[in-house]
Amino acid sequence: MQKLMSFAPDYFYYILKGGMKFYAWMGFLAILSAIALYGFYLQNTEGLIVTGLTSQIHDGLYFANLVFLVGVAAGAVTIVFPAYVHHHKAMHEVTVLGEMLAISAVIMVTLFVLAHMGRPDRLWHMIPFIGIYNLPGSMLGWDVLVLTGYLLLNFVCGFYFLYVKYSGGTINRKFFMPLIYVSIVWALSIHTVTAFLISTMPARPMWFHSVMPIRFIVTAFAAGPCLIILIFQIIRKNTKLWIQDEAINLLSLIITWCLGIALFLTLSEVVVELYARTEHADGLYYLMFGLHGLTRLVPWFWGSLIAMIIAFAMFLTPGIRTNYKLLPIACVLAFGGIWVEKGMALVVPGFIPTPIGEVTEYYPTMIEVMMTIGLWAMGFFILTILLKGAIGILLGEVRFGGAAKSIDSASSGKTAAYESR
Amino acid sequence: MAPKKTPLADPVKEQPSECPAQAASAEPLAPGKTTTSRRDFLKAGGMLSLSSLMGAGALMAQSDEARAAIEWAEHFQGNYRLMTPKEKAEARARLEKRYSAEYGKKVTVDGTEAQPNVLMGYALNVRKCIGCRRCVKACVAENNQSRGKEAGQNIEWIQVLKMERGEFSKEKMNQGYPEGLGIQVGGNAYSPAGTVLEGQYFYEPAAVPEKDATYMPIACMQCEKPPCVKVCPVRTTYREPDGVVVIDYNWCIGCRMCMGACPYWARRFNLTTPVLPKEEMNPVTHYLGNRPRMRGVVEKCHWCLQRTRQGRYPACVEVCPVGARKFGNLLDPESEVSLILARKNVFRLKADLNTFPKFFYFYD
Amino acid sequence: MKKLASNIMILAFCCGMISSAFSADTICFESRKGSSEVTKRDLKPGLPNVKCSSKTGAVLWWGDPFDGTVPLGDMPLLGNIPPGKAVVKPRAEKLAILPMCAVACHNGVGPTFIPPTLPKDKKPKPLPTMEGLLPDAKNLQHGRGGLWCLDCHHTTQRNKLVNNFGDPVSFDQPQLLCGKCHGDKLRDWRDGIHGKRIGEWASTGKKRWFVCTECHNPHNVQDGARNRGFIQIEPETPPQLPRGMKNARHELLPGVSH
Repeated sequence: MQKLMSFAPDYFYYILKGGMKFYAWMGFLAILSAIALYGFYLQNTEGLIVTGLTSQIHDGLYFANLVFLVGVAAGAVTIVFPAYVHHHKAMHEVTVLGEMLAISAVIMVTLFVLAHMGRPDRLWHMIPFIGIYNLPGSMLGWDVLVLTGYLLLNFVCGFYFLYVKYSGGTINRKFFMPLIYVSIVWALSIHTVTAFLISTMPARPMWFHSVMPIRFIVTAFAAGPCLIILIFQIIRKNTKLWIQDEAINLLSLIITWCLGIALFLTLSEVVVELYARTEHADGLYYLMFGLHGLTRLVPWFWGSLIAMIIAFAMFLTPGIRTNYKLLPIACVLAFGGIWVEKGMALVVPGFIPTPIGEVTEYYPTMIEVMMTIGLWAMGFFILTILLKGAIGILLGEVRFGGAAKSIDSASSGKTAAYESR
Repeated sequence: MAPKKTPLADPVKEQPSECPAQAASAEPLAPGKTTTSRRDFLKAGGMLSLSSLMGAGALMAQSDEARAAIEWAEHFQGNYRLMTPKEKAEARARLEKRYSAEYGKKVTVDGTEAQPNVLMGYALNVRKCIGCRRCVKACVAENNQSRGKEAGQNIEWIQVLKMERGEFSKEKMNQGYPEGLGIQVGGNAYSPAGTVLEGQYFYEPAAVPEKDATYMPIACMQCEKPPCVKVCPVRTTYREPDGVVVIDYNWCIGCRMCMGACPYWARRFNLTTPVLPKEEMNPVTHYLGNRPRMRGVVEKCHWCLQRTRQGRYPACVEVCPVGARKFGNLLDPESEVSLILARKNVFRLKADLNTFPKFFYFYD
Repeated sequence: MKKLASNIMILAFCCGMISSAFSADTICFESRKGSSEVTKRDLKPGLPNVKCSSKTGAVLWWGDPFDGTVPLGDMPLLGNIPPGKAVVKPRAEKLAILPMCAVACHNGVGPTFIPPTLPKDKKPKPLPTMEGLLPDAKNLQHGRGGLWCLDCHHTTQRNKLVNNFGDPVSFDQPQLLCGKCHGDKLRDWRDGIHGKRIGEWASTGKKRWFVCTECHNPHNVQDGARNRGFIQIEPETPPQLPRGMKNARHELLPGVSH
């Protein structure tokens, strides 16, 4: 109990310590977050009229980012799965970082949900017993359920692991391993259900096909690890925690195949829809070539496709995949490409044309863009805190009974931390 | 750091000392109007309850507080469908008070329930429709939609599509695609000949009907199996026993899933607090019908519940100058709609989606 | 004499028109322009009798659907409607020259006036006075040359229409005349499928029926080249363009390409 009591203060004390670079980074994120808070205030006094949403296109940037970030959250399983199912040693050492990423991604999803809602003050209507929770009917209900569950699972697994590391005990595998296995399956479920959220609407033919869940999952398992590789490289550069090359290499491999499958599925969809070119292909046609002379999303689609193809080619080349100077470029290209493909380029054309054929376009406002950036900043703020605390514990810098000088504690757990340089 | 708390002024307004917080509200009352509203407020009788007593008590001090207290009570009310008759009456009395004060006239909020042996149905003669949009405007005059000038402030529930009649022409016979490969697709495939659902919404000729056009009005179909009801996470939209799909505006969380699920684009979102001039406001309202909505909730056609539950035709049926719109009880074999179903060629829009609309199109 | 008479008639007709045009009241038309009209007023404080479109002047909304109505009267096919449940707005007062008909000229007595006698047969012949009063009469489209005035108007009682038996029919019940030829329409109208009714929707409810001539102009029923039953009217304003859209020109471009 005493250990638990001292965990939180030690943890937070460690987080608050940091160099100039750390504070500058956090300050930058805080400013962006403040802008987002102001945007949120405007949305809840003026209404969503301050955004570019209309009755025709009523889901935009917020919903797009929500969908994408669910994928990032699910992508964390690309660390957990090899670590615990394939006993990949290098991955096993850093599993908890993936869980921290999942936690922050789910929190970001929640933030985007709040930004998206017309009446966030009435969110309590969804709480069972006080309000009404429309299960099994509402897919959104299921989505909230799986996302909350995923957040809890990752929180419990991640912080239980960190606490054990902190207190120098051993992990109770009877309690821990079932949770890990559940969380692996659960990660698939969050993205599947998010795909169902939009693919169960025959009113929107662009989304109404069964390839949606698998497409969501492969793009998630490409975009998620891209972000993880970038974060790993930043961690290797800026902290004493050394993440082994094997971990990064395995992630690159996962990205390669998932990105390949994602491109294949995109191609399949294009062929199936455009070969017959029914009215149901209007959304995709709008995205690729424009409809009735309206072409705002066309450059986004082709830009994202080209970015993804270049990234795929880079990942496919072993020389580039293992070159840690070029790898970040490929990761950024793939991440950005998928962000566009699964965000704006998936959500917005679903509304163009409307189910009764009205073609309009989406013009996001400055407030909407700033708010999106700000919510990402909030997410990164949380991610930085979580990662910093986790790294501190992994390094043994935060542990029960004061900071450790050495790193011999590695033998007690299954995690080894290496000092860089 | 997360915006868990909403910056609404409601909790603050409860305390008398914090009254200037009212300015944060989207539509502050004009200073000159407060006295009249208060008088109307007092005049407005109704069911007294704990919450309305709260409102009445605060009313003695200042009407802003009364409004705040009412809004506060409104904020914590349950789902209308699950309320007891007493709670329903209280909720309506509360609203009557607030609306009467806001719009400076006696506003009634009806709560008439569905009548037994009534299943409402609607039929529209597509051959008759001339696209004059009078139904659209009559609907707005009746149903208290937002009618501001700024983009996004104007809400109309009925859409009228103009579709070009189009024709096949001799000239296009040999202009096809692909050219010169010997497996040609006819050129007439790419010009309209009764194109479906690729209509024009913003047509504005000097006079309608235009010679080469047909018109197709679309609004809520009041489906027997409504996709919007299924997706609603809080069951704020539901089907009433007389067949009308309604929304409890006070329970809607504004997630817009229903708008995505509706295959008829029948639902509209209140992007901002509705712009509804006092003199244009229709004071005869129904809780599930045309009572003024608030920012951030979804609304749609409800077949003028405030009228139809009292036996009166919907506003769009009455206004249609060509008599294309018909309304009645589907369970009554003598009703207009039943006779149309028995006698005319009838179709449902997007019948392939198995939504089973109770809105029928017919032609004679 | 003939010319003078027609001039007086035209003058009287115009005066009626002008006096109504200059009054301060807002006058809205119900179905089509030139047919039933309503003057805007308050039924009781806060409840207008009608709401009208600011763009076209058309009635959009009735405060009381039965305002100013009279019972429809007997009709052979409407035996199952309880008395008082079917009402109409009297047409007679809307037809400006109707009071003068059958009094001034067509009193059926002759020959104090020009024309001195009643027509001997139903052969069409030009009537300059009537054509001056009613431009529609000169170029009667209804029936495309197969009909003449006295097929519908009563020979001696010009403020009445005529049925198949030669008996007079009130202008408030033109369906008894129109139904002579348009039997299918009459049946649908009787059942509420054709035409317009306002009031209570229940099949046993009270309704104001719109009669044939409130929507159709019988003299010009084909509306020129369009060849449809209802006259062209000015449409109401289009919906508001969604945010960001400058115009709706894209709608006119072809949607389906190769």
